[in-house]
Amino acid sequence: MKSNFLILTSTDNVATAISDLKAGEVLIVDGKEIKLRDEIKLGHKFSVKQIKKGDFILKYGEIIGAASYDIYPGEHVHVHNIHSLRGGSSGRH
Amino acid sequence: MEDIDGLTGYWNADNLVGIRNHTAIIGLSPFCSQAVRLISEQVFGTIPMAQMHGRNELGLNLERFNRSMLNVTLNPNVASLLVVGYEPKTTQRFVNEFKLKSKKPIESVVTLEIGGILETVKSGAKKAMDLVINASENKREPLQLGDLTIGVKCGGSDATSGIVSNPVTGRVVDKIIDAGGNVIFSETTEIIGAEHVLAKRAVDESVAEKIIRTAMANEEVARHAGVDLVDINPVPDNIAGGISTIEEKSLGAISKTGTRKITDVIDYAEIPEGRGLYFMDSPSAAHEVLTALAAAGTQLVIFSTGTGNPSGGPGTVPILKITGNPHTASHMKDHIDLDVSKVLLGAMNLDEASEILMGMLGKVVKGRLTRGEVLKTWDFSPIPTGL
Repeated sequence: MKSNFLILTSTDNVATAISDLKAGEVLIVDGKEIKLRDEIKLGHKFSVKQIKKGDFILKYGEIIGAASYDIYPGEHVHVHNIHSLRGGSSGRH
Repeated sequence: MEDIDGLTGYWNADNLVGIRNHTAIIGLSPFCSQAVRLISEQVFGTIPMAQMHGRNELGLNLERFNRSMLNVTLNPNVASLLVVGYEPKTTQRFVNEFKLKSKKPIESVVTLEIGGILETVKSGAKKAMDLVINASENKREPLQLGDLTIGVKCGGSDATSGIVSNPVTGRVVDKIIDAGGNVIFSETTEIIGAEHVLAKRAVDESVAEKIIRTAMANEEVARHAGVDLVDINPVPDNIAGGISTIEEKSLGAISKTGTRKITDVIDYAEIPEGRGLYFMDSPSAAHEVLTALAAAGTQLVIFSTGTGNPSGGPGTVPILKITGNPHTASHMKDHIDLDVSKVLLGAMNLDEASEILMGMLGKVVKGRLTRGEVLKTWDFSPIPTGL
């Protein structure tokens, strides 16, 4: 774990910051450059792929929720733009 | 690894081995709480288990209350017991039930019989003093890793829990199971979204079904209450730590359970009958989980935390707190027994961190005090109230 972010499974569409990252920072993900659109604090997620509204969010190779809006690579992925599909909350933004 | 060699504990009258030698003082009703605290304040070596329930309970609550109150006193770390009751009938019933299950020394004092709280304290303190002095003759003798029943719990989770402290804990769970030990994990809400992964590890089809059914029942409770789980779990400190949904929290949480087969599902505060890895149906709040794990017979709990969580449960069971979050390791250091945040910085891998956790577990088994034991961060809570 030498990098400042982690992608836990190759199918994941989000990465987890393992140190505080600044907006504008450029990261190399799978050989491609991704410029962070937001500040990403340690433990928080950012998108490493283009995600459309309604798409599943994948971490640990599993579904952790769905996108409430279109999400661009390098965007903070959190409660403001994804929602749970469980506990009676499906479709909630 | 030398810290994990030469483990010792106290073999008690029930042929169970404790890693502590406590005299517990349990209060059977809310009116006993002040006496329990005052007796414990006066008498060295006692753990006060004061609580606010036991009057007019009914249904499932009553069943779970009775079971967790009795079973918590049967915990192997409890060498002897003082029961503080309010009225004679329930007190006698409790003492009788204890004696059916245990040969450990027990004394009781009843406030309505003896004439008030001050007299309860006076008589209770004298009885507790004798119990403690007698227990102090108990000696540590060898035990094997496989003699242990440990609980695993994550609380104050953040994203580092799922990628560092939980997988480190999971590796230790595998080692304990392989040595023939027992491990219990719980927190039903926090398998929602990950139950399909756990079900695949069930020892057979019926246990797999039980796992799925338990998670669904929990989700149904929320629906019936008109509650959106999203509003209660993840909690604000989880969200601040980067966890967005219950699925994400659960998928991170289950890595603390390691990789071995799941033997069975047990109910809140139930003592498992066999050996192996058990899932206990319980709420997720730390004080309730730690109480139920103590009742289930754990001698020690590994508590994986991201943001730091000071809960200590009933006090009879050492809670070994581990974090993978470097901010928490310094900011909340008074409540952290082991810092494995070097994993996050790339200076250590998960296997190396699990060796260090194993060593710390060995030290705590042999008597090293946890921060929770020293700070007395006790919060005994024998009734599960939420999700």
